[in-house]
Amino acid sequence: MASAMVLTEDEALELLAFLITAARTQLDEAAEYGPLRLLTAAGRLADFMAERASPATREFLAGPLKALPEVALRSVDPSRYAAQLDAVCRAVADHLVGHFGGGSAS
Amino acid sequence: MTNAVLEAIRTRRVARALTDEPIERAQVEEVLKAARWAPSGGNRRLHRFVAVQDRVTLRLLRMVSPGMFQRPQAVITICIDVERARSFGMAPNARGLYVDVGTAAQTMLLAAHSLGLGAGIVTSFSRAAVAGVLNLPDGWSPEMCICLGIAAAQQPGAIRPRTPVTWQSLSHWERFASPPGAASP
Repeated sequence: MASAMVLTEDEALELLAFLITAARTQLDEAAEYGPLRLLTAAGRLADFMAERASPATREFLAGPLKALPEVALRSVDPSRYAAQLDAVCRAVADHLVGHFGGGSAS
Repeated sequence: MTNAVLEAIRTRRVARALTDEPIERAQVEEVLKAARWAPSGGNRRLHRFVAVQDRVTLRLLRMVSPGMFQRPQAVITICIDVERARSFGMAPNARGLYVDVGTAAQTMLLAAHSLGLGAGIVTSFSRAAVAGVLNLPDGWSPEMCICLGIAAAQQPGAIRPRTPVTWQSLSHWERFASPPGAASP
């Protein structure tokens, strides 16, 4: 399995700083900002990875994750928000199975 | 009724996406000059503004500011001079200090708009980290970042649905009436 580096040190540091400072800001902010920050971090990670990832992963990164609105919040439409996240989670699972290879179904 | 000021108030929008086009230092200075005229409680002037155009510092600010979606060409950080506030007998969490952050911010947003700049405010950042990046003096607390640049044509969707908000829906006249059936005090 390919295991090429997909982040530079600068990119990794940028993401690290975002995650740590988001943990702090979240202490004072609306709870619904929690998933927003995680998704922003995921989006930035996807942007960093895209150029160096495998074609299949690149295709995945450009797909469902990017389809999420950048500043969507749960309170606007909780059911739709959960459904959108479920769809992305399912797409993640599908890509993981394809990337790592899932066991055969019995 | 309309005039230039009302029109500027009505047409200003938050810019969450900015282009790579640089802006002039003179434009940032004009925004700072406007902030000098913002209302300040007791005319105490307890706020300080730190302007940044250096690309590396801008990148570092964004790294420690999870709420900074845009990639600004300049950032003005509004700081409270907490030590100076104490000298007036004000606690660090006195409400007036934060009201004045807002008046300075709105004044700068309108000034930026009048200059054709896009601007957005960010409060989601680590105060400790921003203080470190900017090497702020002890006693200065960074409270808000004003991101400046040229607004991108394509902006992220609004956070809230575009349900109609009118001035009437936000306003009341005179004393509130007791709800029907409520006991008189």
